[in-house]
Amino acid sequence: MNEAIISLADVSYRYPDGTDALTNCSIKITQASKTAVMGANGAGKTTLFMHLNSLLRPDGGKLLYRRDPFDYSRTGLRDIRSKIGLVFQNPDNQLFSACVREDVSFGPMNLGLPESEVRLRVEEALKAVGMQETSDKPVHNLSYGQKKRVCIAGVLAMRPEVLVLDEPMAGLDTLMQMELTAILDQLQSEGMTIVIATHDIDFAYGWADEVLVMQNGRLLAGGLPQEVLNSSEVQMELGGKPFVAEITSSLALIGIDLRDKGKLPVSRSELLLAIGDYSFIQRRT
Amino acid sequence: MLTEQSAYSNRWRKVSPIAKGIFTFCGILAAFSAGSPVAALAVAIFISCAAIVGAAVPFFIYLRVAAPPLLFLAASTLSLSFSLDLNAPAIHFAESELPNILHICSRSFACLTSLLFLTLTTPLPDIISLLRRCKTPETLLDLMILCYRTLFVLSESVNNTITAQSARLGYATPGHSIRSLGRLSANLTMQVWQRSTSLQLAVEARCNDGAFRFLEADYPNSRRNILISATSGISMILCELAFS
Repeated sequence: MNEAIISLADVSYRYPDGTDALTNCSIKITQASKTAVMGANGAGKTTLFMHLNSLLRPDGGKLLYRRDPFDYSRTGLRDIRSKIGLVFQNPDNQLFSACVREDVSFGPMNLGLPESEVRLRVEEALKAVGMQETSDKPVHNLSYGQKKRVCIAGVLAMRPEVLVLDEPMAGLDTLMQMELTAILDQLQSEGMTIVIATHDIDFAYGWADEVLVMQNGRLLAGGLPQEVLNSSEVQMELGGKPFVAEITSSLALIGIDLRDKGKLPVSRSELLLAIGDYSFIQRRT
Repeated sequence: MLTEQSAYSNRWRKVSPIAKGIFTFCGILAAFSAGSPVAALAVAIFISCAAIVGAAVPFFIYLRVAAPPLLFLAASTLSLSFSLDLNAPAIHFAESELPNILHICSRSFACLTSLLFLTLTTPLPDIISLLRRCKTPETLLDLMILCYRTLFVLSESVNNTITAQSARLGYATPGHSIRSLGRLSANLTMQVWQRSTSLQLAVEARCNDGAFRFLEADYPNSRRNILISATSGISMILCELAFS
């Protein structure tokens, strides 16, 4: 098990209007993992993400990057924001320069890197999200999905160790969701820690290594998706069960056990494969 | 949007903005050096041809974009041609001033074609990078960048709001229209405010501490194009000086 790259210890935050967004929230995010943060609207996911990028400073408790507390000095902020990149939910709020290449270069230019290095990073980031062809296009001529990719490229160009994405799948069609998932998987396989907020239980069940469920500004449950998302308390909070888990448990009731070496399928494709394998074995015996 | 369309799709899109800037500047200088209305018109025709034939800006777009400033120019020419005598209330045609008026107007026309050349062949980000090289104050450029982007975001927002209002009969009667327009502007004010907060967070999240810095774009054959534009621009000025 990898060590925690970000830890929150009893973090509390109250907005100026008096809303308690985080209350004694304690969370650990494992290095090089795929973490899905879930919870109803208003549970504190976005506030949590703004703390991870130091856009908000906690009223109480502390945040640690590896073993060091977050440093909120000028240089400390620059350091933490270059290590933990945040991609906002609405791309129109994040993209503000006129053309794609310019916007992607904004972060690395702010880090004070030499021009040749910035150029290299911009090309790499655009390639990682498959947007090289559109690098000279004006931002307003891009589709919603393309804007999302440019947002991710803009953060990737800063070469963060942790990529935090606030509801990246919202508003994307199925094909684009699959493409984005492939991009995130590729980044994670290269050692990046990926943290995303999502409402999609099925996606979290199949994709994440760890799931954190928030409720009223604190952690309700955290751990393996197969454990967390099958607990009735979490299902009550999220208002649903993972589809694959429902099917496997229904099939188990009529005596069909899809367990493969003790492991249950977690995604649709694994489920279909398990059903195929099961029927193949049944036919042979 | 026509300007935008032409700036991104013309044949000289990839030509360095420095080359296009030099040509525009030379065009303005040539317009000022023109000794007669005919000479100024010659400059105007040369620069328009450069845009329409050279950069392949569609003639229709060129005319559409040129029409509003030309209308202003025509109005100014007319108002210069007539004078009001307050002692014996009457309007006189300033016949003796006509050569001067024609000279001024033809020069303005030539300057206008120069600026049209730049705006119709160069996207705004390129113009901003050109202005940055010319040491224009950073604050002004930052404002230009933000205004340019916000223009599209807000126009989309306006369209969405108008559609939502129309769907619920917001513009069914003149009275409703006025009320809906009022609500649209109130709503837009709040949106601008919220958006500015979001934008502040977005730039902070990417380590910004003040001025906006971006990577300059690369242009192929930049030196060659600058040389060509400088040569043609200077020749234009010399021709004007020689004939005046």
